[in-house]
Amino acid sequence: MRNVALVAGGITKFGVREASWKDLVQEAGKAVFEDCPNLDRKDIDSLIVGASQPERWVYQTHVAPLVAELLGIDVRRVIARTEVACASGQAAIRYAWLSIATGLSDVALVLGVEKMNTKFMDVSQTCMVNVGNREFDGPNGFTAPPFFAMVAQRHMHEYGTTNEQLAMIRVKNAKYGALNPYAQFQKEVTVEKVLGSRMISPPLTLLDCSAMTDGAAAVILASEERAKELTDTPVWVLGGAQSVLHAHTVNQMGELSEWLGLREAAKEFYSLTKLEPEKIDIAEVHDCFTISEIIEYEELGFCKKGEGGKFIEEGQSYIGGKVAVNPSGGLLSNGHPLGATGIRQAWEVLMQFRGDVPKGRYVDGAKVAIAHNLSGMAQLHHIMGYSIEKPKELKFGR
Amino acid sequence: MRTIKLPDTIKLPTLLDPWDQQEPSGPDATGIYNFYRNLAEGDLTTTKCKDCGKMNFPPTMLCSNCLSNNLEWVKIPEEGELYAFSVMALGVPLIIDTYAPFVVAIARFGDYPENGVQISGIIFDSKYEELKIGDKVKWEVIEIQGPGEKKRYWYCFRKI
Repeated sequence: MRNVALVAGGITKFGVREASWKDLVQEAGKAVFEDCPNLDRKDIDSLIVGASQPERWVYQTHVAPLVAELLGIDVRRVIARTEVACASGQAAIRYAWLSIATGLSDVALVLGVEKMNTKFMDVSQTCMVNVGNREFDGPNGFTAPPFFAMVAQRHMHEYGTTNEQLAMIRVKNAKYGALNPYAQFQKEVTVEKVLGSRMISPPLTLLDCSAMTDGAAAVILASEERAKELTDTPVWVLGGAQSVLHAHTVNQMGELSEWLGLREAAKEFYSLTKLEPEKIDIAEVHDCFTISEIIEYEELGFCKKGEGGKFIEEGQSYIGGKVAVNPSGGLLSNGHPLGATGIRQAWEVLMQFRGDVPKGRYVDGAKVAIAHNLSGMAQLHHIMGYSIEKPKELKFGR
Repeated sequence: MRTIKLPDTIKLPTLLDPWDQQEPSGPDATGIYNFYRNLAEGDLTTTKCKDCGKMNFPPTMLCSNCLSNNLEWVKIPEEGELYAFSVMALGVPLIIDTYAPFVVAIARFGDYPENGVQISGIIFDSKYEELKIGDKVKWEVIEIQGPGEKKRYWYCFRKI
């Protein structure tokens, strides 16, 4: 086992872009190489691409070799594309980390990209039902908004969570998103504005939802030896945990307000890294909808089960509170280009630890960060840990 | 300059149609064809494992609990309970967007999870405001017509 570090990051502006899938790849690629002037592209031996549905949104498959060509990279160790819907990007980071930690790779480029906005938005939206069980939940209209609306309804029913508490998540994330020049939405909002925005799927309004977004993000990971040559400010990878317990179809999901998969992944993550929730300074979590962040506070152990609403109401997830959650503005502000999101989260952690973020969303003195990425109807959860300090001991598992 | 003229409409096969083709044979055949045959006869059914007793939904060829192929078709109890619901109004998948806005729901039938199912369904005949968690609902078989002469079957929920 070798230590692995994030050594560089690059990102495109997220949003509705007048840019093709290939344009986005080149934009993020150029940005990540510019961030790492000591790197010769010939040093990159591995490439993992996170992409969710290029086959449907831009009708292109076999995308990892295409990315290699677009960025002029010859890969001689590991090349692959990862697909686990909304968590495709973080899965790419995990496999690059594993490959370097085991000694198979030395320097890996990880790039996540999605082009979701096209002239055919009705087709793009339709592709979202493929994330669920297509022939069973698909014909019933099960895309993400009504599903997460039902999660919110059940959480309100079980724990008394309120519409106002949901809105407060957006208010916090919009506050930080307003200071993020790469975010799709850079405007602060009020609770009243969230509650009064257009109803999408009750109880979720437009501002309770993240958007369909075009964007790409890239990071370079390297072994400890190579990291020292490439940067003075490495960010160390502590490892990660994944779970799928709720399987795929609605019948397997049990109680919607209990994310047992995340509970398990968190338990595994804390056990492997010897961390506890109190030691986490920054948490970039998957706020695809406001309700998601509330449940994530609970399942990640930042507060007791059922008290996620109270946690935001007390301001505990603001910078200066118990843990700074989504100082990037989260998915709600950045938008959610599925394959790019997990990599954008890692990029944010890298920039935070370097101090390369605007005042107002900089988490001063932060040492430990996590990134949480979920996919589909919260069936899959993935947590990665990052630290400014080199880990003393690394563990894959038990 | 040579020109290539494209047809005015480009034939789109079943790429965006979310329903199973429901064919008993041929390249679109499904091993759970009985599910659709039973729907055509008016029954919403699923597979239950005769070895471990687990009721699966969707029905499958193999019990995912114990990997047995020794399955039987059982009827899902007609009356169930509304577990959660919302509205699908915007960004509705093509084809079913004709019916939007509509209520999407999850209902539990039988003794879930031990001996019952939790399934998704559309409620066409009630408004969101008229529903509450715990309402009694029943499933109903619906006919999907088209494209052309094609006839398929599906189900929806109705508040009792």
